[in-house]
Order: sequence, then structure tokens, then C-alpha cells
Amino acid sequence: MKTTNPQHRMLALLSIPAFLFLVIPTAIVVPVALNDSRYITFPPEGISFAAVAGFFADRAWTSALTASLQSAAIAVVIGVLLGATAAIGLHGRKFPGQPAVVGLILAPMIVPTVVLALAFYQFFISIGMVGSIVPIGLAHAVIATPYVYLTTRASLAGLNPALVRSAQSLGAGPLSVLRHVYLPIILPGLISGALFAFSVSIDETVMSLFMQSPGATTLPVKMFTDIQFNLTPKIAVSSALLVSVATIGLLLQVLFVLKRRSSTRMLPLAVSAQT
Amino acid sequence: MTASVISAGPIPGTGRAAQGAIELRQVSKHYGDVVAVDELDLTVQPGEFVTLLGPSGSGKTTTMMMVAGFEEHTAGAILIDGKPVDTLPPRDRNLGVVFQNYALFPHMSALENVEFALRMRKVPRAERRQRAEEALDRVGLGKMGGRKPRQLSGGQQQRVALARALVFNPAALLLDEPMAALDKRLREQMQEEIKTLQKGLGISVLFVTHDQDEAMAMSDRIVVMRDGKIVQSGPPEEVYNHPMTDWVASFLGDTNLIPGTIVERNGEEAVVDLGGLGMAKVRDRGASGENYAVSIRPEHLKFRTRATAGNGCAATLVSSTNLGATVRHRLTAGGHDLQLRELSSDSAARIRPDEELWVGWDADKAQLLVLES
Repeated sequence: MKTTNPQHRMLALLSIPAFLFLVIPTAIVVPVALNDSRYITFPPEGISFAAVAGFFADRAWTSALTASLQSAAIAVVIGVLLGATAAIGLHGRKFPGQPAVVGLILAPMIVPTVVLALAFYQFFISIGMVGSIVPIGLAHAVIATPYVYLTTRASLAGLNPALVRSAQSLGAGPLSVLRHVYLPIILPGLISGALFAFSVSIDETVMSLFMQSPGATTLPVKMFTDIQFNLTPKIAVSSALLVSVATIGLLLQVLFVLKRRSSTRMLPLAVSAQT
Repeated sequence: MTASVISAGPIPGTGRAAQGAIELRQVSKHYGDVVAVDELDLTVQPGEFVTLLGPSGSGKTTTMMMVAGFEEHTAGAILIDGKPVDTLPPRDRNLGVVFQNYALFPHMSALENVEFALRMRKVPRAERRQRAEEALDRVGLGKMGGRKPRQLSGGQQQRVALARALVFNPAALLLDEPMAALDKRLREQMQEEIKTLQKGLGISVLFVTHDQDEAMAMSDRIVVMRDGKIVQSGPPEEVYNHPMTDWVASFLGDTNLIPGTIVERNGEEAVVDLGGLGMAKVRDRGASGENYAVSIRPEHLKFRTRATAGNGCAATLVSSTNLGATVRHRLTAGGHDLQLRELSSDSAARIRPDEELWVGWDADKAQLLVLES
């Protein structure tokens, strides 16, 4: 990548500092987690995996990690089901009150989380559903759904409506249309929506804090309570863990997109020479 | 170049030719206050190629979509092979549909696309593969089965769409402007191929187009639509040569329309006063309305010598344009602008600008029609 164009050089001059500003605070937790010290310090004094080992040996931390993964699993499954079916159901339809329905689906993105947290807290207390990870997972599903809805809706924009009709004319019922027409087209949107849902849930602190209980303390909640009373490198380890999960998720998505692109765009070039 | 790659014959795997009658009785489609299709009566006989021809907004595509079951009609009844299908969803109507942009499934190969209908009908894997391959062979794409739609040219995609619509022996074939996306030469080739295929299979076709040349070339019967109504229906030559209204005459090709008043009507012929062009004997097909005109196609108008008997008038040449095979002359006669078209080979050096011209036409080539607009 040679930047010969002065405009490109100018762009790099502006964008690189902005990029570093955004990335460095996130990246800094990794060396801190690998620090050879009993406290959180920076710069690190030496490299050691002691803190990482300590994290995984500590039941309190591993159960927090398990709780986070459980709530994320609930959020992803329910969020994908609700978000994708909503996007398909609303696709290409116009009816009175449709903007209101879309607004309702997107509302959890806009309503302050603390308000939702209070509402969920009161609701789950009143129905006696406390003390497990399930209410937290359900609450996470509510805030994850709009992300899946939006990514699925975006991938549906490229759907030729005649495809649905042609499948129907060829004898496909609703389930076959879903499987053979909608699914292949929304798959990229579904995957990125699921990744969004996962990271929204893994990252969510306020609602999890409101609804926490001894058996249902997620990783961010554990970090938040520990940072006040028990400042150990295990907090940095869990941060590093969250960063790696997010990075891996992002890389997977990029890989998926690249693979799809190569399988769809390279071939026509090879073929166009023959025809 | 125009050799047909589509071979005719019975449908693969069945040994029988599919037939299907489509009947529409008083079918209407209303969108709120807007009437898209207005009490339409239409019958497609088994094996017949019927074209719905009209400008956009004439209701032709809506009509086809109602037959296919994608649009619900608000009144009337639709029958396929005598059975009402009004409440049947599209998947149970057993009609092969080819859409304007083919609507092939992009993630499936050509073969998988063709197989799809058989897969939906739970045909065993080996049998459906064989039938799909035969169907692709029939449209000349036997070797292209493994390709994805985007790796195929427009004409090839069109053929895959045809094979896909035919492979399950549908009662009839519905074609919605299937050639609109192809260039002229390919379009003409596909017209011939589809016609050959249709004749070979003996399958009924309901075809939608706004292209009058396409309708002329392919149809057994043309149904001209305007504003949700049928304005005229008949074999292509009849609709072209004997339009009932000025709108039909102008929609199907160029024509000279000369307003006139009827002096005498006696069965097949009428005598019409064409004002500045004098009295004329014309064909009368019983058109009735308030105002009348006579339609003479530019190719039926001829240069004559004054001595020739029959219809004719003096004319002045305005311009001549050579269009390759034909020459178009613009004339004025009796206060009317006229167009005369003749073969370039007949035209050479015959007309001199100052020459006094006389144009004439045969009585059976001039048509009395109703002036609507």
C-alpha cells in the first residue's frame, strides 16, 4: 500500500491518530492481564500467565464467565428468532401502524438501559422469577432483538420479490420458501446479527447488576463489584477475555464475508472469458 | 444463428403432452377505488398461445398474476381445466411461471433450479435429477447444469427459467414479459424457440407483453387490453388488419387515421366521406360508436397514376426517409398528413419533387373504425 497521492497521505495523517485513540484503551488490558504482579499496574513489570491461571482457578470468576455465556446463549437464540422473523414478516409489507410496529421493535435500542433494568427488575420480582440467569438472558434478548432485526432487514433489501413468487409457483410451501429463498439471502445478516446479539449480552452490565443474585452474576457485574473492593489482575484478565471474544467474533465475520465474496465474485470473471 | 436449440417433443419422463384450459369469468381487481382489471372474460384453449398485449397500466400483468394466484381477484371466477382455483394458493395451481427477470434462485446451480419443483413434489432424487437433466437438454443447456445463474448469459438464464417452469408438467405456462431484458437479436431467436417448444409440447401459454412485434410473431390469439378491459381480441393478422378502434390501430403499428362520416353501410363494405380526400369505399367489420375514421396502414398506401380506378387522391410529397429495407414518405393530401411506406427496391428514383402525385389504396385494405380519442 503506497500512499503516493497527497490526499491519501493527508487522510492517513488524520485517521491513524483517531484509530489509535479508539483502539489503545481496549488493547491495553491485554498486557495488563499478562502482567507479573499481584496488582493492576501499567506498564507491565514482566510477562506471566499467573493471573490468567488464577482467573480460571477461581470458582467465583469461572461461574461468572459461565453465567455470561448462558445469558448470551439465551439472548442469541431468542434475539435471532424474534429479529429474523420480524424482519421477514415486515419485509415488503405496508399496513396501517407499520411504523409503530418497527418503532416498538427498535425501542430497546433507544430507551435508556437503566429504565429497562428497573422495569425488568420489577417485572421479574412480581412474577417471582429471580435468582437464576434466565431473567437476565431474557432481558438481554430484548435489547439484542433490534440488532438482529436491522441486520436481517438490511440483507433482505437485496431480495428479488419474484424469487418468493417463483418458489411458490414451483410448489413451495411457506417453510420451503423460508428455507430455500429467505435463508440463503439473510444468512450473512443473520450471522452478523447473532454476533451483535452475543456481544450486546456479554457486555451488558446495568440490567445484569439489577437482577444479579448469588447464582446469577455475569462477568461484567463481577468485574464491577470487584473493582471496588478487590482490585486484582483477574479483572484485567476478564477484560482481555471479553476483548478477545469480540475480536474473534469480528474476524469470523470478516472471514465469512470474504469467503462468500470469493465464491460469488471470482467465478463469473473466470467464466466471462468463455461466453 | 437462428437455429433452434430447443427441441420439441413430449415432456421428459411422462411421454405425454400437457394441456390446460384457462378460463376467466367476469374477473375484476380493485385496489381501493382504482379498477385495475374490469370484468374480464378470457379463455385460453388447451394448446393455445394467447398474448395479453397492452401498455403499462392496462392490467395485463395483474391479470396474469391473478391466474398464477399471486394477486387475489376481487370479483369473478378463474378456472383451470374446468376447476375453480379461486381459493387455491399458487403452489397448488400447477402452472409454470417465467418471470420478467427469470427469478432463478441465485444460490442454486442451473440443475438445482430446474430440480426445485420436483423436489417440492417429493420426487425421488435419482428420478428428479434425470428429469431435470432432460429438461435442460431440451433447452440446449445440458452441459451448463453445474453453473450458477450469475455465470450464465441472459439468454441462458431465460432457458433455465423455461426448463424450470416446464419440468413438472404444468397445466399451462404463464410468461410475464420474459424477453424484456434481452437484446433484439436474442429476443427474436428466443421468440422462435419458445414458439417451437410450445407447439411441440402442445402446452397452453398465457403470454404478457407490451411489445406488439413480439405479440404478432408468437401468438395464436392477441388480446389487446387497455385500462383493465379487453378492447379487441383475435388472431394477430385480424387484429392488425382490422382494428376496431383508432387506439388499437395506433397501438399495433403505424397507421394513417382519416376522420370521416359514413354515407352508406352495407354489410362488409361502407362508403365514407373523407372530406378533403373525397369519398372512399372501405371495409366494415361492424364497429359502432359516435365518431368514425378510416385506418390505412402506411404499407397499404400506394403511389398510383390518376387513371387508376378506385380510392385515391392527389398528394404532395413532404419528405422521404430511407429506413434500409423500406422508404417512408411523408405526404399531405386534402389537409391530412399521410405516411406511405414502400420497399426501397420499388422506390428508387421514381419520385421527383415537383411531380404531381396520386396515392391510392385498395378498398379491402382500408378499415372503418371507431374514433375514440
